[in-house]
Amino acid sequence: MYFDPAENFIYPPYAIYNWMIVAGFFTAVVLVVSLLTLLVSKGSSGFGVFFTELIGMLKDVFSLSPRRIWALTRLTFMEAYRRKALAVFVVFGLLFMFAGWFMGDSKEIQPDQVKVYISFVLTAVSWLTLPVVLILACFGIPEDIRLRSIHTVVTKPARRIEIVLGRMIGVSMIGWLVLSVMSVVGYLWIVRQIPQASQELLKCRVPIYGLVSFKDREGNYGKEGINVGDIWAFRSYIEGATKSRAEWRFFNVDETMLDSEGNLRLENSFSAFRSYKGDMTRPLFYDIKLFNIEHPEISYTTQPQPVNEFRSKQDIIPRKVTVDDVQYDILNDLTTKGSDKVPKGILGIEVACIDRDQYIGMARSDLFIRMPDRPFWVGYWKAIFGTALTVLLVSMIGVAASTMVKAPIAAVLTAVMYILSGKNPHQFMDQLVAGQVQGGGVLESVYRLVMHLGPSTELPANPAFTVVQIFDSILMNFLWLCKQVIPRSQYFNMPEYVANGFDVPWATSLIPSLLVTSAFIIPCVMMGYFALRTRELESK
Amino acid sequence: MNNMTSQQRKLVYLIGIIVLLIPIIWLSLPSDGKNKPGGVLSQLRSQYELGESDLGDVDASSAAMNLVLLGMRGVAVNLLWMDLDLQKDMKRWAEMQATTESIVRLQPHYEKVWDFNGWNLAYNTSAEWDAVPDRYYWVKQGAKFLKRGVERNKRSTELLYRTGKVIEHKIGYADESIDYRRYFLSDPDPAFNKGPDPTINPEGKDNFLVGKEWFDLACESELTRPQHILDRSLFRATPARCQFDYAQSLQKDGKFGEETRAAWEQARKDWTEVYGREIYHAQIGVEESDIRLEMTEEEIKQVAGNPDDELRVRRAVDAYQKMTNYRYWRTRAFAEAEQDTAEAHRSIFEAKQAYKAQEFDNARKAALSGMEGFDKLLKRPEYAILVEEDLLCEECLLGWKIWDDIYKVAGEKIPDEFPLKWLLELKQGNEQLMASVNKQFRRLFQDNR
Repeated sequence: MYFDPAENFIYPPYAIYNWMIVAGFFTAVVLVVSLLTLLVSKGSSGFGVFFTELIGMLKDVFSLSPRRIWALTRLTFMEAYRRKALAVFVVFGLLFMFAGWFMGDSKEIQPDQVKVYISFVLTAVSWLTLPVVLILACFGIPEDIRLRSIHTVVTKPARRIEIVLGRMIGVSMIGWLVLSVMSVVGYLWIVRQIPQASQELLKCRVPIYGLVSFKDREGNYGKEGINVGDIWAFRSYIEGATKSRAEWRFFNVDETMLDSEGNLRLENSFSAFRSYKGDMTRPLFYDIKLFNIEHPEISYTTQPQPVNEFRSKQDIIPRKVTVDDVQYDILNDLTTKGSDKVPKGILGIEVACIDRDQYIGMARSDLFIRMPDRPFWVGYWKAIFGTALTVLLVSMIGVAASTMVKAPIAAVLTAVMYILSGKNPHQFMDQLVAGQVQGGGVLESVYRLVMHLGPSTELPANPAFTVVQIFDSILMNFLWLCKQVIPRSQYFNMPEYVANGFDVPWATSLIPSLLVTSAFIIPCVMMGYFALRTRELESK
Repeated sequence: MNNMTSQQRKLVYLIGIIVLLIPIIWLSLPSDGKNKPGGVLSQLRSQYELGESDLGDVDASSAAMNLVLLGMRGVAVNLLWMDLDLQKDMKRWAEMQATTESIVRLQPHYEKVWDFNGWNLAYNTSAEWDAVPDRYYWVKQGAKFLKRGVERNKRSTELLYRTGKVIEHKIGYADESIDYRRYFLSDPDPAFNKGPDPTINPEGKDNFLVGKEWFDLACESELTRPQHILDRSLFRATPARCQFDYAQSLQKDGKFGEETRAAWEQARKDWTEVYGREIYHAQIGVEESDIRLEMTEEEIKQVAGNPDDELRVRRAVDAYQKMTNYRYWRTRAFAEAEQDTAEAHRSIFEAKQAYKAQEFDNARKAALSGMEGFDKLLKRPEYAILVEEDLLCEECLLGWKIWDDIYKVAGEKIPDEFPLKWLLELKQGNEQLMASVNKQFRRLFQDNR
């Protein structure tokens, strides 16, 4: 894998606590601004209007009718159907008819090619569904307002919050219908494209990861190993025939982590780097030492193993190992027994490179305990579930936006929010907000561009630039605020797990995705409702 | 607006459409391929060979993809190139290859795309892998990719050359060339049943001979479609140089029999009778004249026309010969055809093998024999030019290095006089050559101690 799943871990109570703070603050701002606006426009009678509206809104919220919502959902569904939203199946059909042409020869299939097939299906399914959902979500309500057909709904005893909810659910359902049909076809397509002999490549590995730290050539601990000059610094390297090591700690190691034969299966995907070529026919070697972190002298070291670069390699460690005629039980002797200082069940694993002046690279996720595999369809449908959550998220944001601005603007707003939700845009925004991007903020950058000044050139210290910097810092704070309401789609990156032959984990993918999606439900519904309630529907 | 009814307006539109369709149909009338040349566009397409089928094999998926994207091809291609770069940095090879495939579907006739990606696979991606069979797999992928590029771009001289270059240079001269050359004949992939990969080596030939075939095709194509890689005289030397490489590789493999002698003989013919007789243009006086690298006195006089221009012709031929190192290779080909030279090579080869096996006495004897053979050869006036170049000297000095090292290991005094002493003294100041000799010596033998 080219990313560490731990990056996506969310601690749910902390996330809920944060959400409550942001949502509470946001609600307070909306209420205060509304009250002030009413006071300015209507004088002291604004108080009355404010509280009447507030009570009306609360009444609407607490008297939701599932029947009416369902009726509006069906209406949205039928409307989407009449607008030929399902024509997307034609594109899908065409894509899958000819996709095999672009994917190479399936007779000569390599393990890596399976990755491409799975990625293609999961990406195509989501890229075909999301634009349909985005357009339906953003154009539905504005079109109804434009054509005045919304009056046929609002004059009935349907509440505006129900219109918003009905729209969101209806659009999501269309998206889910499209998604389910495409997913079934996609699944069959993958299974058909992979030859019978290579079907075992379709699997879902279940890894248990540990925490890693590195030791340098003197044996001192550090967070990272050596950088051998790779542009992508995901892996750190340890130097051969020195005290340099990568040390993992696995927690809660017990019998459930052993396979049916009682062995501990360790799987790695280490990388090799040679400082000199030497005998190229001889691979680089590593060994693995399992040890008790409380009593490091109790350890077992494997025989040197060849690095199998860019592929996975399994090391099967029997439960009972013998060292110098002494037999150790991995679970009883090499894991911690539990004390006031150290919890129970921690297993230490140390990896060393054997070859002098050569290097072996690894990241935290490059060594894990492999649990029994799950069928491919488990991971596949989890990934589809992730896309279904994205569909819901996009439809909620789209519908909420469409109640406030015109349809094209709502579509652009939703699309931009989705584009900015990726890992890289968030990283960039984080750097901008933290002041780590050279060249300063908006005004400073414009000045540098006009004056042909490089980003590292010092600007003169004078009052004008102080003003520029203050203005930029205000904008940066505003960016920070905006960033908080842009979802993080990195949690929804489930296809990557499946494509790399892993099951989609709950802790670092499904639960965070569910939390992110849930976090947008109440704000989007309430914003949509608020905007629709306060909006003059006669105005096109 | 006007007073026309809706029906009248529609009729006017229909008439307008029909009127506009007439010139469009006339302009784009297709050719039937035999008797009728078709419309103007079709005729121009044939005249300038711009049709998809004129450029190379038509790939239906590529054509469909380009049509579907309408004007967005450039944007799509840019995004794919960015993806490719990222995937390369992140070592996501399978995805990188899939992206490469998508790019060539969108840019099937952009030669640089094939050239760049073929090189990327054969040289950059292969180097990222540790195991030699894996490295070879990616070298092969690069060669196959370029071969497909040739099929899609039949008018490209440069892609023919690039394909030959990967097969000749990457397989023949990489650090892992011993294994690569073996794999070229017996692929490590079990799918090929210990035979060659038929896509790049259908007849199971040596890589240098297959490379030579590609260079031959490139030279043939170059006559009508110029290339922009090398000077023409150097470009046209590539098939013959490949034959030299083949002959040398046989010696490196320890083959000194009839096969090697025939390879050198073929190299001599290719060099002097084919390449040497190629026509080049040179400014002689005010006019441009045809000259050859191999010219008789009579031919020089004939081209010059007068005694003044004779000197100019000789100078022009000399300039070309220097640029292509023509005289060295001609002399080398003659020298290698001699039995004594073959014996000297054999002795040096045996010295290496014996040294590797730590049979120092045998190694010393063989090295000395080789040194004596080369000493005699290089002192002959007709082969004096061979001393000027480092290529053969490197092998001679490697033999000396083995011989010298055995004395050192044994703690014995080196004799005051020994064969090739003069060559050692001559080349001692040539740091590049001595570094290369030392490097070869270290890499080949020192690990075996």
